[in-house]
Amino acid sequence: MTAVAPRGTVARGRGPAPRPRPAGRTLTRLLPLLPAVLLLAAFMLGPIVYSLYGSLTDRAMTGPRAANPQFIGLDNYAELFASADFWNSLWLTVVFILASAVIGQNVLGMALAVLLRSSVKPLRSIVGGLVVLAWVLPEIVAAFALYAFFSTDGTLNVMLGWLGLEGTSWLYSFPLATVIIANIWRGTAFSMMVYNAALAEVPPELTEAATIDGAGAWQRFTRVTLPVIRRSISTNLLLTTLQTLGVFTLIWVMTGGGPGTQSSTLPVLAYQEAFKFAQLGYGTAIATVTLLIGAAFSVVYIRILKPEVD
Amino acid sequence: MNRTRTVLGLVGVVTLTAALAGCSGGEGEANEGAIRVAYQKTATFTAMDELMHTAKKEYEAANPGRTVELVPIEAEQDQYFTKLALMNGSPDTAPDVIYEDTFQIRSDAAAGYLQPIDDYLADWDGWELYDEGSRQAGLGDDGKTYGVSLGTDTRGLYYNKDVFEAAGLPTDWAPKSWDDILDAARTIKKASPDVVPMNIYASNVLGEATSMQGFEMLLYGTEDELLDTDSNAWVTGSKGFLDALGFYETLAKEDLGPDPAAALDANWGTKVSTELLPAGGLGIALDGSWLPSQWIEGENEWPEWHDTLGFAAMPTQDGGGDGFTSMSGGWTLAMGANADDPQAAFDFIAQALTPENALFYHQEAGQIAVRSDVAENQEYLDYNASFEFFSSLVPYTHFRPATPDYSQISSNIPVATEAVFTGQATPAEAQEQYDSALVGIVGEENTQAG
Amino acid sequence: MSDRTSTISIVTRTPPIAVHRARRAKPVSVASPRRGAHTLLSSVILAAVGILFLIPLLWIAFASFDGDPTVSMRLPETWTLDNYAKVMTWQLTWQPLLNSIAISLGTAVITVVVGVLAAYPLSRYRMRFQRSFMYGILFGTGLPITAMMVPVYALFVSLKLLDSTWGVIVFMAATSLPMAIWMLKNFMDSVPISLEEAAWVDGASSMQALRRIVLPLMRPGLAVVFIFVFTGAWGNFFVPFVLLFTAEKFPAAVSIFNFFGQYGSIAYGQLAAYSVLYATPMILLYVIVQRLSGGAFALAGSVKG
Repeated sequence: MTAVAPRGTVARGRGPAPRPRPAGRTLTRLLPLLPAVLLLAAFMLGPIVYSLYGSLTDRAMTGPRAANPQFIGLDNYAELFASADFWNSLWLTVVFILASAVIGQNVLGMALAVLLRSSVKPLRSIVGGLVVLAWVLPEIVAAFALYAFFSTDGTLNVMLGWLGLEGTSWLYSFPLATVIIANIWRGTAFSMMVYNAALAEVPPELTEAATIDGAGAWQRFTRVTLPVIRRSISTNLLLTTLQTLGVFTLIWVMTGGGPGTQSSTLPVLAYQEAFKFAQLGYGTAIATVTLLIGAAFSVVYIRILKPEVD
Repeated sequence: MNRTRTVLGLVGVVTLTAALAGCSGGEGEANEGAIRVAYQKTATFTAMDELMHTAKKEYEAANPGRTVELVPIEAEQDQYFTKLALMNGSPDTAPDVIYEDTFQIRSDAAAGYLQPIDDYLADWDGWELYDEGSRQAGLGDDGKTYGVSLGTDTRGLYYNKDVFEAAGLPTDWAPKSWDDILDAARTIKKASPDVVPMNIYASNVLGEATSMQGFEMLLYGTEDELLDTDSNAWVTGSKGFLDALGFYETLAKEDLGPDPAAALDANWGTKVSTELLPAGGLGIALDGSWLPSQWIEGENEWPEWHDTLGFAAMPTQDGGGDGFTSMSGGWTLAMGANADDPQAAFDFIAQALTPENALFYHQEAGQIAVRSDVAENQEYLDYNASFEFFSSLVPYTHFRPATPDYSQISSNIPVATEAVFTGQATPAEAQEQYDSALVGIVGEENTQAG
Repeated sequence: MSDRTSTISIVTRTPPIAVHRARRAKPVSVASPRRGAHTLLSSVILAAVGILFLIPLLWIAFASFDGDPTVSMRLPETWTLDNYAKVMTWQLTWQPLLNSIAISLGTAVITVVVGVLAAYPLSRYRMRFQRSFMYGILFGTGLPITAMMVPVYALFVSLKLLDSTWGVIVFMAATSLPMAIWMLKNFMDSVPISLEEAAWVDGASSMQALRRIVLPLMRPGLAVVFIFVFTGAWGNFFVPFVLLFTAEKFPAAVSIFNFFGQYGSIAYGQLAAYSVLYATPMILLYVIVQRLSGGAFALAGSVKG
């Protein structure tokens, strides 16, 4: 990346002139796009279209409705919106995203970024490296590590024992809290790196000026630094939200969505309804709702932040 | 042409990947025309795996040029069903021969995943060895036969004599009602606080094991059932259902069951049979007849099991009716609807069920004999000292409702038991939720208030 | 698809100038004595947080060498390689790892090749639908792929792609494409067009120019995209878990999950050893990406302030 020239020198957006074949030219130029368009149409658009359609049928994984699924209109959605499990799951998803991504990863990531900049050098690389390592691990390995950490005989309870405190069955008694902490543990590195880079871009003159005006450290941070990097913050908030909406493996391995439905976020609920309870059509309706939520966030992301696309 | 070179390059890279994928791509594509056999294999259940390997060797030797592709699915029961359903979803991946639970046969037959084997059975000399009950178990809704039984099972109470002795309970225990069981559990709890007084499966993750070994062992000892066999309607709001959930509630409230946190683990069943029972950590276990088979030899060998454990029939709620109850199920070998060569697939099934193989499997998997040749075999009778007790439960036994939607309905039972056992719902609330799920599956018109 | 890949989108949205800025921007010391105390306090807090991140990782590391491992973290009383020896069998480890390599390599190759082809016209020509296409691509990067697995399964039934390694590869390639195209286009934008113009004058076709001039200049960028798609596929559990059925085709992610399901509460040491074997390639590749993209946190780049 360091090898490539800065973008400022690039003369972009001008089509090359030397090909005087206007008729076939557009087609030739578009040809390289074709494989990408085909792949995206088949495997991104395909499932989305199928999701919309499948959610309107009563298709099952077994029994007569597996052989002859019927078109049932919006019945699945009617059932879904009348189901306490769905609203519970939606609520869990919202809490999971707010607590683990919006608050957890972002606040901790910001704190780490600030701390990294004001700590001694070897410590900085070691801790930074550890946080990143948690993020680089395959999701399922991270899930094992935290499953063990929160187990009844796990490290957390052993450590509490040292302090004379009695532990509990965390995964059972506080399932949502454990997966929230797990997701913070695993995902904070991303926010930390984003904020670390953003902080580096805050002109030192600004903070110096504020210091001279008598602003304390906290005031400098809230009045100067945060406003300057607000765009990084909003982008990061949206990206972590989108990532967290799709978390499945972490929850699946640690709690399986349980006990009962106490940690069944929407992706887990969709899997359970479709494959475990064999209600493919109904599960597809849940998937569609989740996709729509993701799509809404995605649109917000594009509308608000207007990333440059050309 | 320049573009050609780019394309050539692209093709080269893709071919390289294909080669790499191919070398590890497995036998799937390689064995066109092979008989694909899907079955379950777990840390504690390897008898099927051994049987299939034997049958594969014998079949391939007897039919040169033919190959059998074994697809062991390494998952606990509930996930096995899910994986099987996923495989059956497409004709290309559907197995030719399936290790199929009897309760799935009707729904999978209705789904078009299985094909009838009556014509092949007619020509098979082994079929006359099977008793009437096991033939019934393989029937679909259309009255055709879809699976050949691998044996049956019953369920009853295991109790640890050492634990009972320590608590001053009789070592020839014979409870007459649910209250007798609860009283014994209370006594154990007082005498040995570290011992789990009683285990009954309650968790959602154990799926059908919770439904059958747990809840239905209670329900079928009341005056109610899941399906009213006279009117063929599913029962909602029955007292028996509520009382069965009440049993779970009592266990949970008085702390007579396992720690819910541990019991909700997917490996809980394995833990009960390989750790808790042998280590004397459990007083009473309501469980299936196949458990002792793993203690006889192999990794989980426990030679003292027969001296340490006692057996008791599960009493009805208050000793009424026949006094005792049990549930029977069992597994079959069934033929996939898309088997390329049904005759070959059936020949493989027959190969797996030769007298020698059937005897081997009945012993290793702890099955109650459904074939006369095994049932009368002295070697079989001597092999496992618990066979006699569990066979004696057959007169009291019940079968699950044989309808195509039972499997879907049944998956809602563990939801109820888990909710009650973990204190998330009262029995009445859990029953209400089950009832509404039931109505959602079968429709209001197919239910009746109990 | 995975959060790892998303980072790059931020990186590439702005030039790497930020990295140099970061090194220069060491704040000028204003009040030295207070700064010392400040640094100490920060360091103590940072160290505490570091320990919290370390503990779950240490459990894996220690348990994998422990002769008698437990589910809680502790120094092994007897150090041993037994756990590794036990899991290093063809069925349990090598074949799944090989499958992981095949799947990840296939996914990364297809994604990069298709992505480069698509990025070229998007970067070099101005076309009428370009803005909407790029917005569409960006939109695609935000969709939760896990939520799609139920309809994807149903779609694969009709496409007859279930239990096919190729099916998994093309699906993962397609889902990585939006991010890859976005990144590659941005990398390509930073290669000056003037060099190609010279080639065109010499009569080279645009594809030749792409191959001979543009691609060599953006080699580090290609490597970064390749590795990020590769590691994304390597770590993906859910897609092969739903779409593959035959044990011989399982990648390590699925194989290790099955192991956990069966022996998870018994064989902690082996589970930990297996985790180490499975995670190591990913960590190594991440280090390579860091080298390629220049320094500690350069990858995260900066989001425009």
